[in-house]
Amino acid sequence: MKARAVLFGALALLLLGLGPARAERLVSTLSNQDISITSSFDGEQLTLFGNVEPETGSGQKYVEGPFHVVIVISGPHGSRVARRKSNVLGIWLNTQQVMFEDFPSYFHVLSSDKLADIANPALLAAEGILPAAQTRHSAQADWWTSMVFGRELVRLMTEKGLFGIEESAVGFLSNTAYKASIALPSNVPNGTFVARTYLFKNGEIVGKRSEGFLVRKTGFERFLGSASRDYPLLYGLTCVLLALFTGWLGGVVFKR
Amino acid sequence: MQIYLPIAELSMNLFFLVGIGGAVGFLSGLFGVGGGFLLTPLLIFSGVPAPVAVASVTGQVVAASTSGALSHYRRGGIDLHLALYLVLAGILGAMGGVATFDALRALGQLDFFISLGFLVILGFVGTLMMIEAVRTLLKRRSGVVVRERLPNQHNWIHGLPLRVRFKKSRLYISVLPVLAIGIAIGFIGSLLGIGGGFILVPALVYLLRVPGNVVIGTSLLQLVAMMSATTILHAVQSQSVDILLAFSLMVGGTVGAQFGASAGQYLRGDQLRFLLAALILAVAIRFGVSLVLPPDDIFSTAAVSAGGLL
Repeated sequence: MKARAVLFGALALLLLGLGPARAERLVSTLSNQDISITSSFDGEQLTLFGNVEPETGSGQKYVEGPFHVVIVISGPHGSRVARRKSNVLGIWLNTQQVMFEDFPSYFHVLSSDKLADIANPALLAAEGILPAAQTRHSAQADWWTSMVFGRELVRLMTEKGLFGIEESAVGFLSNTAYKASIALPSNVPNGTFVARTYLFKNGEIVGKRSEGFLVRKTGFERFLGSASRDYPLLYGLTCVLLALFTGWLGGVVFKR
Repeated sequence: MQIYLPIAELSMNLFFLVGIGGAVGFLSGLFGVGGGFLLTPLLIFSGVPAPVAVASVTGQVVAASTSGALSHYRRGGIDLHLALYLVLAGILGAMGGVATFDALRALGQLDFFISLGFLVILGFVGTLMMIEAVRTLLKRRSGVVVRERLPNQHNWIHGLPLRVRFKKSRLYISVLPVLAIGIAIGFIGSLLGIGGGFILVPALVYLLRVPGNVVIGTSLLQLVAMMSATTILHAVQSQSVDILLAFSLMVGGTVGAQFGASAGQYLRGDQLRFLLAALILAVAIRFGVSLVLPPDDIFSTAAVSAGGLL
């Protein structure tokens, strides 16, 4: 008897959770899944495309908008410190630092309209869509300090072009097809990136997609980068030999 | 033309890098110094992270000093015995310097100590050189025949124990001041990314009374050996030597130095010393101002990598 009540309860919850059958499906893709950094690398343009389609099996012929799309592109996570200088006896020096762990090295939000018009801030914050939300859970300090330093960190990252919100970067080509493009700067961090796409309708999330892409050094640059980490002694010796040779050659060429 | 620097992880203009390498090389050839004290600050001011700038310029100083050291060696202008003591002490000092460099970087105080170090050392050396140069220039103007002071008087340093004979320099002095100078130059050089030739030469001349015919060659050899060791130490410990950055600077620097050396023949020694002193003081003042003036932004940020803070 008791078991049956639990079963009914679970079934009821399941039905409630499903609600009316989801009618939309998001399909999307990236222009470039593997961005290689070569010696002449000076940033790269990344384009994301997608379309909203009726859910397979729902029997619908078309989907009804209006839709909004928000794309969050985040770079590899790592630890980062924010420091504050203050004046000590007339000299400016770093006196305080806060460490942020598991912090994205790159974070851009692209949207098809003003974020405030797409959904309410609480929903955006809960989904981790806003740059400011990135500092909240990662600071190794008390609440007030981490708030102050977190806000400044987001500002500094924005100034470096690594963080940002572009509220008109997603354009709709038709009622259901969209296209977004973003320029990755030359100082883009290396590693695995994730592009999360959210589909909004009437302020609610009705679809999600997530794609990964890789930014990495290739060829000679990758060889140098890994050599400096894996064989530091050999790398240092090579650097010294190169310097000695260049200096010697200069002397010979110019007959000093 | 942009070139991507794999260790600094940013792209810079190749012509800009070769250009500042060449300009600094010209000045270093003109004055007979390594030029690290100009190159490191220039790179830092143009956006290269301080650790990468310091470590990579160390490599460039090796290249800048090699051709000079070789030509002095051929002319017999090197006291190998004295250089050996200086180099061994220098490598010891460099180990301490690189360890300090890493510790300061972890504390977030590296930039401050680099600025402070440049201010104090360049300010001190620049002021002394300026006083000496102005005094010589004034005397020459008033018609007094200037005789180069012969460094043959003994001072308290010559009374220390553990004396060793340095045949080529015709010196019989204690090794203690030699080792102390070597350690100090190694420490300062690795911490600030400068060769320290402009400190080493006066120290050898005024403190140890090393004769003029071997002082430049010996100091250049010490620079090459010590900065080679420092480059390897930086590569192993902080992994912040950017070989492409260093090579771009080397190419510009080696060529620039040849033109500087020929231009230097048209200037008198005291004029050269006056100009060099002015240049050193200008860099010192630039660092002093950056310490005292309120910064544009009191906040800064750095990534924490496996190798430490950048």
